Amino acid sequence: MEISDRELFTEQVREHHAGLRGFVRSLGVNPLWVDDVAQEAFIVAYNRLEEFDRERDFGAWLRGIARNLVINERRKDARRKRILSDNLTDVLLSTSSVAEDDEGGVGDTGLAKLNALRECIRTLPEKSLQMLKSRYEDENSAQKIAEEIDMKPPAVRKALERVRTSLRNCMEERMNLATSS
Amino acid sequence: MESRNPNEDLLQEFLNGDSSEESLRRLTEAAAEDPSLASQLASELEFSELIRQSFSGAEVFAAETFESALDYQEMTKDELIEKACEGSISREQSDQLVKMLWEDPVAAKELRDRLAFDEWLREAVSGSKREEAFLESLETRMWAETKEDHFVEDFTERLEKEIAAQEEATGNIVPMPPAFSRKRTTAQMNGVAAAIAVGAFFLVQQFTGGTGTEKSVATVAKSSIDAEWSNETLPGDEGEILPGRYELKSGVVSLQFVSGGEMTVEGPAVFTVAEDESAFMYHGVAMAKAGDSKNGIPLQSKGLRVSESVPLIGIDARGEHSTAAIAFSGDGGVCLPDGGKCRSLFEMEAVKADRIRDKFVAIPFDPEPFSKTWELLAGVEKNMGSVRIEPPGTKIEASDSLDGKNEVQVFVENDSFYPDHDLEVDQIQLGEFAGAETNPGQALQASGELRSYLLQLWPSEGGDGEEVEASLTFDHPVVGVIYSSDRLAESDHSVGTAITHVGEEFNSGRGLDSGSDQILLSDDRRTINLKLNGGDLEVDQIRVLVALN
Repeated sequence: MEISDRELFTEQVREHHAGLRGFVRSLGVNPLWVDDVAQEAFIVAYNRLEEFDRERDFGAWLRGIARNLVINERRKDARRKRILSDNLTDVLLSTSSVAEDDEGGVGDTGLAKLNALRECIRTLPEKSLQMLKSRYEDENSAQKIAEEIDMKPPAVRKALERVRTSLRNCMEERMNLATSS
Repeated sequence: MESRNPNEDLLQEFLNGDSSEESLRRLTEAAAEDPSLASQLASELEFSELIRQSFSGAEVFAAETFESALDYQEMTKDELIEKACEGSISREQSDQLVKMLWEDPVAAKELRDRLAFDEWLREAVSGSKREEAFLESLETRMWAETKEDHFVEDFTERLEKEIAAQEEATGNIVPMPPAFSRKRTTAQMNGVAAAIAVGAFFLVQQFTGGTGTEKSVATVAKSSIDAEWSNETLPGDEGEILPGRYELKSGVVSLQFVSGGEMTVEGPAVFTVAEDESAFMYHGVAMAKAGDSKNGIPLQSKGLRVSESVPLIGIDARGEHSTAAIAFSGDGGVCLPDGGKCRSLFEMEAVKADRIRDKFVAIPFDPEPFSKTWELLAGVEKNMGSVRIEPPGTKIEASDSLDGKNEVQVFVENDSFYPDHDLEVDQIQLGEFAGAETNPGQALQASGELRSYLLQLWPSEGGDGEEVEASLTFDHPVVGVIYSSDRLAESDHSVGTAITHVGEEFNSGRGLDSGSDQILLSDDRRTINLKLNGGDLEVDQIRVLVALN
């Protein structure tokens, strides 16, 4: 394999790993297996790098590989499946696109979105941050979080929803700002 | 007796899952021509599916499903989506959600976005930890799946710089770990070899205990010439290591513990040594060899601790969130910290303790991160010329990894053994080069502990036939050199070599029998110089025996 191919691949891993994981998750892959599927997509891409047409969008090609891996999951034995539900993945696949112009989707801007999101999280009040960490870092359910902080589960769900909405708005604002500047 | 229809056999084969491609093709053709066979095939397949379903027990849950159906009708789409994102959605709720989403593609798109957003939240909240874990894990998998293709270091190194720069710019929540665990490229390894070729290692005087009130637990026995300690954490004036924290900024050092164990550390490294002669690696690469007591040095890092002593073990604690461990010799055990899970670690096995996932992951056996620490442990203090010290566990066989280069491979054949009878070695004159030719030999008395090295120059197709020069200085005196083919073969058993390619044909030409190769043993019996004819079509092997006591 050419050195330049490796360099290209290195660049692409840096550029796409965050977005690819979001894309994989958006197809209904079990959160525990998201990294695994995304890594497999990178490995397949690396092994087929010679087939990649440099005129094409690498991110879209990568997402196409990931999409096929997820499609294949449906054929697996239930115990080995990395998706939550065949039917759910079917419907999510039907609305998914690997194209780069997937408006508002999880395309090539994944890394920029992630960075924007990180900046937004820094502005969160302590309690919201604590709840968010419990949910997304420690993988606790709303029920568990409610027990931890002595709140009712619906209230925790509502609070998480508010935090998410605020973070999404913040992220989009920052993305828009970055685009306009 | 009634003869059986051949199509029936084909059908049974198919139903039993025994069809070959050929028989499947024949069955397909027969079914296309015979509608009754096609019908029978369809019927049998339908029945097979019924049998399959009966095992899945789907109908058992029918009542439960119905009850659940009554419940989930009260849930809104948003609630179902929330449950799906949370991972707590039941099968029935999932079916209901799917039904809703098929009817409302916009909602399906919303769910996809929400799932992706959740994934980013996970990553953003965990700072760089998850990113690093992902890349380290990808690195491991790429290594496993692409084997010799060492592209991974390049991108890991670049990512390390870029992520560090990003985090500096954004002031991320979680501080960036100092470095990713990464392996050296072949080019880097060649750089290492070149550094050593100018005589990088030297023996530091063997120290004997500290002079302060505190008792030293170890001494610095050897250092590479580029070894540099942090000023705040220097060993004592005479190399004594008192219990405490040490920072090695660069180079490699070897610590000889009072109980007999030896540990080599490659900088940059931060470690502590305790009174009980245990060592905790906060950062860096270390190898530990058990001494005579065979108890070993209890090694620990933030990621793992060695729970059952391994005679020769290496740990790579350069990753902030993971530690790799390799058992180079013998079996033992490792545990996750803080009373975490333990597992056995067998000889030639490598594992990575993943602190984020709090588990051990099996990784490919890759001794390269330990090449520098191993050189000091192997007892070769200095090497010059075309020399490669092979890592422990390397099979002594035809090397296909020399890429046409003429290099003398150095294997530690047997780290320690007591010969049970005298060994016949070749005669060698001290202090001057002499042709290695047929000689009457001499007896090496079986009177002490020996270590055996095998030096090997494998004929290389891409080699240019030029003379290969190599020089090796050992940390113990050389008491015997064997370069005749017959004596090499005779001593294989005594030495207990792991050589894999012996055989009558091989044995007849493995030594330096042609007379065109030259060998010199220095007056102090520590250094062997070789001038080998690189154009030979047969392998050149030399066995070097050093006395440990």
